[in-house]
Amino acid sequence: MKHSIFLAIGIAITIAFYALSYSTGANVFEMLYFNQGFNDQLFNLQMYPVMAAIIALMAWGGAAVYYYVINSVKFDRWYHWASVLAVCTLLAPIACYAYIDNKFAHAGLLYIDESIHFVTQILFIEALLFIVASFSIRWWSSNCRHTPFPQ
Amino acid sequence: MRLFVFAIGGTGSRVLKSLVMLSAAGVRPVDENGHPVKDLEIVPVIIDPHKSNEDLKRTEQLLTNYRLIRSKLYGNRTEADGFFANRIVTLHEIMNDSAVQLNDTFVFNLSAVEHNKFREFIGYDTMNEANQALTSLLFNDDQLENKMNIGFVGSPNIGSVALNEIKDSPEFRAFANVFNAGDRIFFISSIFGGTGAAGFPIMVKNIRQAANLDINNRDVLRRAPIGALTVLPYFNLELGEDHRIDKSDFIVKTQSALYYYKETLTGANDSNVNALYYLGDQQMSVPYVYDPGEHGQRNKAHMIELIGAMAPLNFAGLPTSRLCDDSGYPQQAQAFEYALDKDVPGVDFKALGIDTRHFIYDKMVKLHLLFIYLNTGFKTMIGQGYTNDKPEIRTDFLNSQFYRTLSVDFMNAYKEWLGEMYHNTRRVELFNIGEWDMGKAIHDVMTAKSIFGRKSVDNDVFKSEMNNLSRKSASNDNQVEFKFLDLFNRAASKIVAERFENIN
Repeated sequence: MKHSIFLAIGIAITIAFYALSYSTGANVFEMLYFNQGFNDQLFNLQMYPVMAAIIALMAWGGAAVYYYVINSVKFDRWYHWASVLAVCTLLAPIACYAYIDNKFAHAGLLYIDESIHFVTQILFIEALLFIVASFSIRWWSSNCRHTPFPQ
Repeated sequence: MRLFVFAIGGTGSRVLKSLVMLSAAGVRPVDENGHPVKDLEIVPVIIDPHKSNEDLKRTEQLLTNYRLIRSKLYGNRTEADGFFANRIVTLHEIMNDSAVQLNDTFVFNLSAVEHNKFREFIGYDTMNEANQALTSLLFNDDQLENKMNIGFVGSPNIGSVALNEIKDSPEFRAFANVFNAGDRIFFISSIFGGTGAAGFPIMVKNIRQAANLDINNRDVLRRAPIGALTVLPYFNLELGEDHRIDKSDFIVKTQSALYYYKETLTGANDSNVNALYYLGDQQMSVPYVYDPGEHGQRNKAHMIELIGAMAPLNFAGLPTSRLCDDSGYPQQAQAFEYALDKDVPGVDFKALGIDTRHFIYDKMVKLHLLFIYLNTGFKTMIGQGYTNDKPEIRTDFLNSQFYRTLSVDFMNAYKEWLGEMYHNTRRVELFNIGEWDMGKAIHDVMTAKSIFGRKSVDNDVFKSEMNNLSRKSASNDNQVEFKFLDLFNRAASKIVAERFENIN
């Protein structure tokens, strides 16, 4: 029961994050980084929801891979989990940057500096969501449920 | 059901040691339908006046350790499955008569016997001349001067006199008091020595003639199903000129005793002993050091003792209809023998034969894997995986009495026992001694084939399996001790079945 509550909370946080990426008033991305022209373009080209999906999928996907695919006694220490966290935290901004760059290129826009600053913030969001995802789903892992620290 | 096991003499102690090892592995007696005998309590009673006998001391210590470990695992429950399943108790633990004062020990107190020379015990000096002359015909000078605290030194004629005192002892009364209908009695003794050869028939006589004794439950005792393991010569002693125990006498003594048993215990019309297990080996052991004195015999463990330890378990599983008639009186004696599947100098599981393998293989393998795990992996597991599930196994567990008794005292004795059997003749090589690789630990049994060679069996495999089982069964209701051994037992069952070649 306790574990199901953790899962529900994790899902709720993720949905809230996704919902806030649509928002105009309290957009989660704009709260972390705002540059008038750049963010207007992100919003107008509807890139926020896609990036939110990329971040959420990588966080939950990465956590799922660690807890249910890797799921090995050889990789059940906190630093193994931290390694996966690091990989996801690095891949998510790269994926988002690639996506933004591609969209802007099609639109004939160029925001290299702003894009780099923007995706740097995604590092923190991804790390946070990975932790949320980990604490939502780790309970049912046979070998890694006590990683990064015991239940 | 209680099974009272009287282990008489040095061989009795050594067979009992093997019985403890089998019990630690979880070998339980099974009935004719293959189900474990319910509510079994084994009550070992060691009868040996030679208390400094090393074999006795080692067995007593082992029993004490077993008892401690089991009580931590299962408390007073008789029903258990897994390691240390058989409940082993002292007479003191089960006695309900506070009028009888007993030490809480597995060793029968023979203080009336052990402090005397034999001549003092029989009052030789107070006999008249004619009786002294008759006594001198029956007992030589060495025997008359024999200090009985070193046993009867291969002289059953002394033992048969001295051990007759047992019937008047508090231990015998306590035994009679707690013996109930449905309980059984089993004797373990050698036939070629002094204490065992003499003690077994005397004890049977006293039980069957209980009507003449001033004790409780006389009728129940008189009808009690009695089994016995009679061990024929199987070990060798170093040669020496002044040895009072000489291996050349073994066969003669055996023949004499067998004739005596036939006349008094196991004859065609006798029902004194209902099941008699004969066991011996023509291939004698390596010569043991002759030391009947202060230190006593410290014989290497032997295959015969391991096989012999299965006899009381077999006896406990025999249906009552094979032991008693419809009126509840004992049936005529039936004899059991044992043969190896292969007459080889090195006995492994495959040489034991299929029935024995079914009986002990899985369980012995699991105990051996536990031995390896405790020595190579467990300490490093603390704080990881299943150890973090409720109830948590923390580092202080490593300092607990339970863990130290199990991993140090008991497992050292196990290692010693295995090593002694391995270095004896016949060589018992159930496991590869000194091999810490679990996958290579069982002699002549490999791990099962997989797509990429052979399956591995190591601490990580155990950790993974125990993690998985623990996730499904984590509970605050269990004790840490039970959690650990229960998880290991269940994991080992699966691993042995799935990852080793099937030799059953």
